Amino acid sequence: MKIYVASAFKRSTIFGATLCFAFGVAQLRANQSTGSAPAKESFRTVQDETGRNIRVPVPVRRVVSLAPSLTESLYALGMEDLLVGDTDYCDYPPAAMKKHKVGGATNPSLEEIAALKPDIVLVTKSLNRLETVQQLDRLGIAAYATDPHTIDEIRSSVRRLAEVLGNPAAGEALDANLLQQESLLRKKLQNAAPKRVLFVVWTDPLISIGKHTFIADALTHAGAASVVESSQDWPQMSLEEMVRLQPEFLVFASGHSEAVSRDVEALAKRPGWDALEAVKHRKFAVISDAVNRPAPRLFSAIDELARQLHPEVFNEKNEASRVSAPAEKN
Amino acid sequence: MRPLTLSRLLLQCAILGAILFCVMVIALKFGAVHVSLYGLGRDLLRVFMGKNTEISSDYSLILNLRLPRILLSVIVGASLSVAGTSFQALLRNPLADPYVLGVSSGAAVGAILALLLEPHLALSPEIASVFTPLGGFLGAAVAITAVYFLGRREGRIDSSTLLLGGVITASLLSAVIILLLNTMPSSNVRGMAYWLMGELSAVPSKPLAWVLRVGFLVAAAVIYATSSDLNLLLSGEKEAMHLGVDVRRVRLVVYIAASALTGLAVAVSGSIGYVGLLVPHVMRMIFGADHRILIPASAFGGAIVLVMADTLARTIAAPSELPVGAITAIAGAPLFIYLLRRRLA
Amino acid sequence: MTAGTRSASSRNAADASRAANEPRLSVEQVSYAYAPNPQQAPIFTLEATSFQARAGEVVAILGPNASGKSTLLQIISGALQPLSGRVLLNGFVTHELEPRIRGQRIAMVQQESQLLFPSKAWEFVMQGRHPYGKSLRFETEDDVLIARNALAQVGAEHLSDRWMDQISGGEKQRVILARALAQQPLLLLLDEPTLHLDIGAQVDLLDTLQRLARENRYSVVVVTHELNLVGEYADQVVLLQKGKCLRVGAPSSVYQRDLLEQVFQTQLSVEMGSNGRPRVNILSGSS
Repeated sequence: MKIYVASAFKRSTIFGATLCFAFGVAQLRANQSTGSAPAKESFRTVQDETGRNIRVPVPVRRVVSLAPSLTESLYALGMEDLLVGDTDYCDYPPAAMKKHKVGGATNPSLEEIAALKPDIVLVTKSLNRLETVQQLDRLGIAAYATDPHTIDEIRSSVRRLAEVLGNPAAGEALDANLLQQESLLRKKLQNAAPKRVLFVVWTDPLISIGKHTFIADALTHAGAASVVESSQDWPQMSLEEMVRLQPEFLVFASGHSEAVSRDVEALAKRPGWDALEAVKHRKFAVISDAVNRPAPRLFSAIDELARQLHPEVFNEKNEASRVSAPAEKN
Repeated sequence: MRPLTLSRLLLQCAILGAILFCVMVIALKFGAVHVSLYGLGRDLLRVFMGKNTEISSDYSLILNLRLPRILLSVIVGASLSVAGTSFQALLRNPLADPYVLGVSSGAAVGAILALLLEPHLALSPEIASVFTPLGGFLGAAVAITAVYFLGRREGRIDSSTLLLGGVITASLLSAVIILLLNTMPSSNVRGMAYWLMGELSAVPSKPLAWVLRVGFLVAAAVIYATSSDLNLLLSGEKEAMHLGVDVRRVRLVVYIAASALTGLAVAVSGSIGYVGLLVPHVMRMIFGADHRILIPASAFGGAIVLVMADTLARTIAAPSELPVGAITAIAGAPLFIYLLRRRLA
Repeated sequence: MTAGTRSASSRNAADASRAANEPRLSVEQVSYAYAPNPQQAPIFTLEATSFQARAGEVVAILGPNASGKSTLLQIISGALQPLSGRVLLNGFVTHELEPRIRGQRIAMVQQESQLLFPSKAWEFVMQGRHPYGKSLRFETEDDVLIARNALAQVGAEHLSDRWMDQISGGEKQRVILARALAQQPLLLLLDEPTLHLDIGAQVDLLDTLQRLARENRYSVVVVTHELNLVGEYADQVVLLQKGKCLRVGAPSSVYQRDLLEQVFQTQLSVEMGSNGRPRVNILSGSS
């Protein structure tokens, strides 16, 4: 008895294709459902900092933040009650740790985000992935992206954020506060020559920050100038080049200044590093890692740095400086 | 003497299909949102009957988010396994996997270039969402063509030359990738790191999903149609030729179809490793080396494995998600070593 | 006769309806050359060679190493295109046949096959049925019958369920032959089949080939350098040396002492056996 293979094969292919088709249809129809937004909300369109047009519900009640800097900004604005979820790394202020976690900044769980039913999700271009934003778009969840590159942009970014979230007054208040802090510092430093510094992100290999980053801009506001001229965000530098440039100070961002002084001691013993004047004379500054986040706390970090680099301008607060130099001071 | 019959084939496929279905249902249950199967079934029924608005919001979440992801895992897993089986037969090498001919490196280069280009082009959102996968697929196509021409000797594909050509191309492209990653703006680098590990959280848009499904069915069908020929090819090319196999045509067809399967899978989900290498092996141990059963078995097996791996990736480090390539590597590497030792023993 | 050989006998009828003396296989002035690289002049591995074979005949292609024997066999099988001349099988040029049709008419038995994954003997023999269906096919009951029959004809039915990598060389050779028979060919080609066999197995094989040729009306062409086996079993001998065809004919006419000494470069003596078959004795000691 011969089995007609060709027709049997055709039959099973058609069967399989029908199954897939049925599944696809079910999915299609499911996507058309709007089971999650029953209330009559009004919307407005805003443009975010990457040029995308976002439909934001009015009023905004539930916000998910996918970047620690944005979480900090929300707290600084006093709008933390809107925050219903943030990332595992949102640790400042400590109250932020108690919010519902949705995963990492680069790999959050979309299900967790969607289950929180946010009105808007906050992302930032320098930390979050485009894929995450595209996913949110596909789910119909508004995603607002910030992308500040300078201190001024950080200020205006936070103010715009407040406005988008429906509380422009808070934004303006914070902005005025930060502006005042900034201009006070600028006045103090107006006659001080900027110190040439190397901002050390990592020692092995030696990684610093590029000139287009907000950290470089922060350094300028603190009376410093980064010796690194690269356009990359996290350029890898050669030690030889640093020896040629001879920065006056090394700047580290860390929560633990004792650990840093230990590290610098260790560096002083290494070949190549000991050719740097700043290492030889233990001229380094430690500031809080707030400098790594484009958030209002950055301004205090700038202040901190200025005090260490230009202590003479801050005479009345000299003992608070944190430069620990067991060897000779210059 | 019990040759393979159509009824036995269909029975084995039905069993595998049932296992896949169970695994998919279990996968639907796990995740951020609690699911009761009864509620899910009820809502699915409502969808079919057109009463979309009566679905609870939780289940709309499941249907919009989890189900497409599971379906993507099925297609990608099946594609990679069928491609792996085909390359192992084509190259007469049981250690071949779908990436050995440089397909995934080519796709990676294509995807990186697309990511680099995207900000400079004003793209509509629909095109933007498929731009990177498209770049990946084109990169894969270029790599495949290059390797094909490298692998020809006297105008015919020669297994060992092909393998060598593929390895060389893959390593060259890897170097290019490292170079590109070093010069890219850092935000894109992060995305590429995940892509290179292989992940399924980027569920493709509608048109892309259809391309995937249709592409898989067509390519898999084409390969399946050459199953008997592939069986003979395993005995040796000259012998296959004397037994009536048009060796040149079969090799070309399988090469293109398997590469297309790999290219599609990689373009959408990055390079997920070990699935295309190990699933054919295990299926061969269970079902034998007859491609008429091996190819469908590999397809089902790959789908089952990847759905399970993706479920783990979604839940193990909750609420974070691990890249699924990490899970397959952690599970796959020891299994590979075990299989290798068994083979040598 | 069983169902499987029905089609063979229908072909026999077709054969018989032709002129009884018309040869089935006709090799006409085939030659072959290849150039190792484009600048060099091509080397002739085979110069114009011709012979014919009828149904039921055993033809031996005889010669020392590098005499062009394998090249000639490849050309006959249709796998290699000759530089000049052609090979006709029942009037069809073998090289121009579609691979599937060729597989139904010509069966090639090569030396040890390299199996990538282990398979059973019956699976192996079933491969011989491949030319008889479409690309994706499941074996029919007829196929099973033919395969079983083929195994029986070579006396290997007991090996049916054994794994190919677990049987001896001689047994493997028989299974490979069975696969060729399963193709139900008109022409059976064998390339040095006695190479790895002991003497008893060698005689067995040639005996079987002759029997099969007579019973199933195959034309058998065997490439070998075994003088006495050829002398005993071949109906025709094609003598080659360094690509040149020196003589074609029955063993008794080809086995001339000075000719053989020239070709094989050793001293020997030729005597006629009682059945009209020549016997060659190699004389030991240096020439």
